[in-house]
Parts: sequence; structure tokens; C-alpha cells
Amino acid sequence: MIKISNLNFGYSKEKPLFKNMSMQLSHGHIYGLLGKNGAGKSTLLKNLAGLVYAQSGTLNVMGYNPAKRQPALLEQICFIPEEFYLPAVKIDAYVKANAPFYKNFDHQYFGNLLKEFEIPVSQKLIDMSYGQKKKMIIAFGLATQAKLIIMDEPTNGLDIPSKTQFRKIMASALRDDRCIIISTHQVRDLDNLIDTVIMLDENDVALKASVQEITEKLTFKKVKELDASIIYAEPSLSGYNAVMPNYHQEESKLDMELLFNAIVAEKIKFKPLFN
Amino acid sequence: MNNIFNFNRFGLLLKRQWLNFGKIYVISLLAVIGVVLGFYIWSAPSPSKFNNFDYAGHLDMRFRYPLFIILGFLFISIVASSYFSLLGQKSRAILELMTPASTFEKFLAGVLYTAMLSLACYLVLFYIIDFAFVKYINAHLAEFKMEENSKIAAKPVESIAEQFFNNEKARKFLSGFFALPFLTTSIFLLGSVYFNRFHYIKTAVSVMIFTGLAGYIIFKSTALLSEGMLANNRVNDSEEILSLFLLITTILTFVVWVITFVRLKEKEV
Repeated sequence: MIKISNLNFGYSKEKPLFKNMSMQLSHGHIYGLLGKNGAGKSTLLKNLAGLVYAQSGTLNVMGYNPAKRQPALLEQICFIPEEFYLPAVKIDAYVKANAPFYKNFDHQYFGNLLKEFEIPVSQKLIDMSYGQKKKMIIAFGLATQAKLIIMDEPTNGLDIPSKTQFRKIMASALRDDRCIIISTHQVRDLDNLIDTVIMLDENDVALKASVQEITEKLTFKKVKELDASIIYAEPSLSGYNAVMPNYHQEESKLDMELLFNAIVAEKIKFKPLFN
Repeated sequence: MNNIFNFNRFGLLLKRQWLNFGKIYVISLLAVIGVVLGFYIWSAPSPSKFNNFDYAGHLDMRFRYPLFIILGFLFISIVASSYFSLLGQKSRAILELMTPASTFEKFLAGVLYTAMLSLACYLVLFYIIDFAFVKYINAHLAEFKMEENSKIAAKPVESIAEQFFNNEKARKFLSGFFALPFLTTSIFLLGSVYFNRFHYIKTAVSVMIFTGLAGYIIFKSTALLSEGMLANNRVNDSEEILSLFLLITTILTFVVWVITFVRLKEKEV
């Protein structure tokens, strides 16, 4: 569905953000895009949506070059940015003006999502809270039936019940022909939702692996003492939270935060495991 | 699916743009109506005023010409300058650029709103107000006296449109400037894409610098090229000059539109 080949991008020539980045993403998955501040998560998403142009390399999104901003591709992309703008109109007027651009827009589904998110339909968009606005654009984006859903920090500004609703809705929004990419700092919000982790670090993809692959190759557990088999550990109240190779095919739950810190600290040690 | 132009999509885009742009547009038009009415009420001849006549003995309506030109310039340039200005804001730019319409359709909608609609609205509004005042003045002509105790009534006033269509000389002269409003809107439309903030001021300053530089270069190069030559005053043919001016402004308008389209295509967030 998405093929990135030798992507080079930077906001200035002296400071490249991506150097020869290559990656493939397929439909039927929810990808979690993780990375430190400034690693280029939002920029990668913008590259995929055609909002910025690569210096070199190719991007293929559903057979199109996103830089050309062709309507046939744009109607298949739902981009939920971190900072967004909504006009001073009611939901009805917004839908009336924007929904006809998406020929598969599902009005009934949109209505259901609004109900589920408890969004006040009669209120003007500009008078809504940040969280309500965010839920409204998420609902609209999902109702477009776009095949590529790109979300940049979607859970920012959502309260706890809304985050639960969001996870539930996103899980049900995944279809075989759909690809969902979610970039976030709040990894715990995406626990149990994403099926593949993409981690950006040092101008490239530091890790791209499915949750299943990660838990097959690594085990996450609490240990009392450190030993040589542990790749990375963080002190906790009752000892250490550790990541180690899964030699005995033990079952463990992926600790995304621990994995993130481990990759950032010990990138070289993880490379042979996921090549 | 045609990815360059589709009538249905273009229609949808025009409707959508009205949602963003319409309110500002209507408010600007109301402001224009207010200013024109204010000037007409303040400056148009009235039997209660002391001096209503110009040097030729006609009812003095000369205030209309600078008003028409200056207000028209301000209105069309401000409208054009605000059209793509939202692309300077990251959050709004994302929404605009991600709208499933082609760059050409987005550009064309911009041209339609700024060059065609704003100009047409301005001309119609000015014509209606001018026509109404002219009708009113002509209906009360007997009340205007050139001198006290004079029995000679004032001559009827013509509306600006009548003056334009009835006077062949004026029509020929003004037709040379036909492309000027389009050039103005095209330049300010380009400014609204090119600059992220303070579009109007930055565009105005850029135009001043550019025209100043171009004028200087043309003057200097003409002086250099014609050094030691005798002047042959062939410039009496004003029609030729006006045609040349029309041609140059028309070409420049299209060139600026093409640049605007390219800039819109290249716009990043």
C-alpha cells in the first residue's frame, strides 16, 4: 500500500531528518509510529500525505505520488493533524461542504460516531472544546471511508473515557483494505491497539516489527537482579523491568515504553534480532 | 477520475470556499457599500449646499472618479490578498491542501473569487449606488441654481456607466486599462500564496521595489541605448501606446497567474 524508497528529507540541507529511509507498509494493519521529539514522526506523516516534498527518493502511496496531490489519492487519505482548524459553522454545514468530496462518505456511520463520542451536534464547531473538536474530525475522517488513515497524536487532548472510546472505535475501523498509521508520544494510549511498531531514530527506521514478532523475539519481565542476558533494564519498585531475548518462547506482554527506551539506548544490540 | 479538472468537483470546491471566504466577502462588500454611500452623501450635489457646480458649470460629481479608482483598488487587492492567506497557518493549510480537489481547481477557484467575482460585485455595487444618486439628482434638477435668482436650471448628470458608454474617446482611453484590475488581483493573489504573514503589506512593498527597480533599469538602458541619437517624437499615437499597455498588462496578468499556480503546487506545510 505504501512504499518508501531511499527517502531523503530535511527542513534544511545541513540537518537531514531522513537519510535513505526505506520502508513498506501494507493494508490491514494499525502501525504505531514512535520516536523522540524531533525524530521526524510528523514529518514522515506529512511526506505520506504530500504536505511536504522529499529532497530525493520515491514515495508510492496506493500507486500515486503524494507530492502530486491528486484528488483520487486525497479522497483516500484521512489525515488527522495534531494542530487543526475548524471553521465557525455547525457540524451539519461542515459536513455539507466537505463530505461530497468523498464519494464513499458514510453519513450514518458519522452520526453513530458522533453519538458514541457524545459530541453536541447543535453546537458551532468553534465553540467546542479541543477534545470535542478532535473527536469530531476523527469521526469525520473515519466516515470518509478513506483507505489510509494518518493520525498525528490523536489522543492528545482527549479525556480518559474518550481515549477508551477512541481505542474501541479505531479497533473497529480496521479493515482488510485499510492502513492506519498513528504517531504518538503517549505509548500507553495505544497499548492493545497497534499491531506493528515503527520506531524512528537517527534519520532512519530504528525498528519496524509486528507486536507478535517483538514478543516472539523478546521477553519483557520484572527481574530482581541483572544478568548478562538482559539487553536493557530500568529500575522499578520491586527490582528491574527488563528486556531480554526470548530464548525459551515465553509469553510476555509488550511494554512499549520499555521497548522504546531500550531501542533508543541499545539500538545496536537490537539490530541483529530484527534484521 | 480526472485528476486535473472536474466540473462537479470544481462546483463543490466553490461551495466549500464560500463557507470559508463568504463571510469575509460579504462583510467587505458591506464596508464598500458604506464607504461609497458615505462619500456620495457627503460629496454629491444637494440643493442645501452652497457650491454645487464645477468650473464648467456642471453639477460637480468629480469626486466619483478618485473614489471609484482608489476604493476599487483597495477592495479587489484586499480580497485577493486574503484568499490564500490561510495557507500561511499550518493548521488551516493542512485542511486546504488535503481537500480532495486538484491544485488547478483550487487555483481556478481563487481566480474566480478574486479576479472575476470581486470585480463584478464592485462594479455592480458602484453602478447601482451611482445610478440611484444620479436619478435622485436629476429628479430635483430645478432646485439647483447656478446663481441666486437665476432661472437657468442645472444640466442633467450622467452616471459613470453612461459617461463610459456614451463617450467614445473615454471608452477608447479606458479600454487600454482593461487588464489593470486583473493584474492587481493576480499580484495580490500571488502574494497571498507566497508570503505566510502580513500578505498585503509585503506584497505592496514587493510591488513597489519591483516596479521601482524595473523602471530604473528601463530608464537607464534606454538612455544607454539611445546615447548620441536624435529624438524622433513618434509617441503621439496614444492609441498605439494604450494598445501596447493593454497587451503588456494582459501578458503580465497571465504570467503572474502561472507563477501563482506553480507556487500553490509547491506549497508545503
